[in-house]
Amino acid sequence: MDSKQWNYVSLAVILVLVVVSVVLFWPPARQIRQGLDIRGGLSVILTAEKANPTAADMDRSLLIMQNRVDGLGVSEATVQREGSNSILVQLPGVKDAQSALEAIGNTGQLEFVDWNSIPATEQVKWETYMENKRKDPDTKPPATLKKGTYEVLLTGDVVTAASPGASQDSPGSYEVNMTFNAEGTAKWKDITSAYFPTRRRVAIVLDGVVESAPAINSAIPSGESQITGSFSADEAKRLALVLETGALPVTLRPSDTQEVGPTLGQASLYQGLIAALAGIAIVAVYLAVYYRGLGVLSWLALGLFAAIYLGILAGLSRAGWFALSLPGIAGIVLSIGMAADTSILIFERFREEVEMGKTPRTAAKTGSKHALLTSIDADIVTFVSAVALVFLAIGPVKGFAVTLLLGLATDLTVGILFTRPMLMILAESWVPKMPALFGVTGGGRDA
Amino acid sequence: MRRPYIDFMGNRKWLFIISGVVASIAIVALLMRGLTFGIEFKGGTLIKLPQRENVTTQKVQAALAKAGMRDAIVQPALTAGRPDGWLVRSSISDTDRANEAFREVASELDIPLREARSSVIAPSYGATITNALMYALLASIALILLYISVRFEYKMSFSAVAALVHDAVITLGVYALVGREVTPNTVAALLTIIGYSLYDTIVVFHRIRENSSHLAKKSFMDMANDSINQVFMRWLNTAITQIVPVVVLLSFGGETLKDFAFALLIGLLAGAYSSVAFASPLYAIWKETEPRYRALKQRYAKAS
Repeated sequence: MDSKQWNYVSLAVILVLVVVSVVLFWPPARQIRQGLDIRGGLSVILTAEKANPTAADMDRSLLIMQNRVDGLGVSEATVQREGSNSILVQLPGVKDAQSALEAIGNTGQLEFVDWNSIPATEQVKWETYMENKRKDPDTKPPATLKKGTYEVLLTGDVVTAASPGASQDSPGSYEVNMTFNAEGTAKWKDITSAYFPTRRRVAIVLDGVVESAPAINSAIPSGESQITGSFSADEAKRLALVLETGALPVTLRPSDTQEVGPTLGQASLYQGLIAALAGIAIVAVYLAVYYRGLGVLSWLALGLFAAIYLGILAGLSRAGWFALSLPGIAGIVLSIGMAADTSILIFERFREEVEMGKTPRTAAKTGSKHALLTSIDADIVTFVSAVALVFLAIGPVKGFAVTLLLGLATDLTVGILFTRPMLMILAESWVPKMPALFGVTGGGRDA
Repeated sequence: MRRPYIDFMGNRKWLFIISGVVASIAIVALLMRGLTFGIEFKGGTLIKLPQRENVTTQKVQAALAKAGMRDAIVQPALTAGRPDGWLVRSSISDTDRANEAFREVASELDIPLREARSSVIAPSYGATITNALMYALLASIALILLYISVRFEYKMSFSAVAALVHDAVITLGVYALVGREVTPNTVAALLTIIGYSLYDTIVVFHRIRENSSHLAKKSFMDMANDSINQVFMRWLNTAITQIVPVVVLLSFGGETLKDFAFALLIGLLAGAYSSVAFASPLYAIWKETEPRYRALKQRYAKAS
């Protein structure tokens, strides 16, 4: 393929990218996920009090925290590990931050509860939930039970071990084996003896959420019980974990608590957007005044840059990998400057080579090549800083690094696939006819 | 458009003096006044309250005292030149106490929580953040050095890093001088400045290297000066297009964005200056110690 064909192929590729991007990001308010500092909500980083908690302890804590957050019924809540000893809980748009904080902050409670003592409405809600869950595993559990509305038979600290195992009776399904300590064994014997004739049920409740409610089938004097109920392997594993880890294995303390009012968050977003747009406008006017015809080309380049950039952000939002934060906006603003710079590098080099006596056609080809090589070197250096921040920094600073990184990548894409080919096409047709419009004087003539 | 021709190399003594004086002031400020670190590093509470017509700074202070935040510092916030509420900083780092006080103050001043924001950070967490940022800083400087040394040469690498240290010291010095709080955002901005400072320097070095490959009948110093002037308009336009959005961010953005913009602005100014007025002369002086360029200098030097 010669360079002329290559130019048109590049332009076609960029056109496709832009169309895909616009489809992805429109309307931006809906397609680009907003971070907690913009949407408002509660974000808590919980850190283990122990200096070096084991990975297993942190996994259990994560599961328990997940459970509590599910119980709060906040859509789009996330719970994730942060470093080796912390857990990040994010509750976007949470209404009652105070009680959410309390729910997250308590030490955790596993209880064995008399099923009959649970209010009938709550029983129905739970049964419905279990039924729905069979069809859709993502179904959220009903709201947590209020303390004091049910009768606690035993607390979770009597459980010494719990493990999932393959069921003896019905092949393919799983059961959970649990062992009690001496105190638990004695009490459990009394409870099961009283319950089994009527097959009364015992609810296993973690932090107010009913995890399972098995019926008692026989008196259990040994302290070794099986909970059967055609569990899947995962369900059995989870229930065993719940039983074994009732209380948090490590004490978690909030080390970073952010509560952002939604109105304030939106106001910050608008301030940021106004700043970004005003910045673009001033830069665009300056480029047009200084570079004239080429300035208009830089507008197009900036426009394409913006479209593809937003498209990438929207695509990542859709996959759940990106949420726009305030530091992220700072990264975007900085990227705009870098994108403008790529155009400047190309134009300056082009003009210079024309002044040195090259024809616009040759100058466009060699000049933009040199300029892009410079741009790549310079971008790599910034790229390295941003990568270091993404991998090593914690918290909101990451948002800044991510948008900066994506901005640099988009900038180079537009420079290579649009600005350079377009300049080469213009240099062959328009520039020689209207040198003043493009701010090039002197220069050779095409033979 | 006519290009100006500036004799950077001829005036290099003055340029070094300017850099030296500004950097010295920065170092003195850092030593005498030190840096003020944000609650993210040392633990504490930061509250943002919205603007209300009938609320004054005194009222906010009184409400805070009543809620048990006696040590709180209240600072009116400005956005685009207009009052934009208050920033409250307190050393209280207990989540429960801080949250209670936050709610009391808001209800006392009749401010709905949806218009406010609070963050509480435990002192121990500050150390985690500091460590993470230090690693990021060291890792990125090491990688950048490696890249420039491999891609170009070590003399360029060290000249560029000297300029980078110059920019970072000046930026931090300004923070010490005006007493602005250093936050993790500041550190991120500082890292970006390091990137930008190198970026700008590399563009000039690129041209010097290109011109040096066919250098004849001219001293290295004069060639370097020509190189700077060849990329001068690009340098100026880039500085303008980078700095303008940051200035807009500084005046129109909210607190978080100002945090970035302030450090970026100082760093961009220092970075733009140092690439042509500090790194390039330094590199040229160093290169002229090489026998080949020393010979050229003795025969053709104009700039003394």
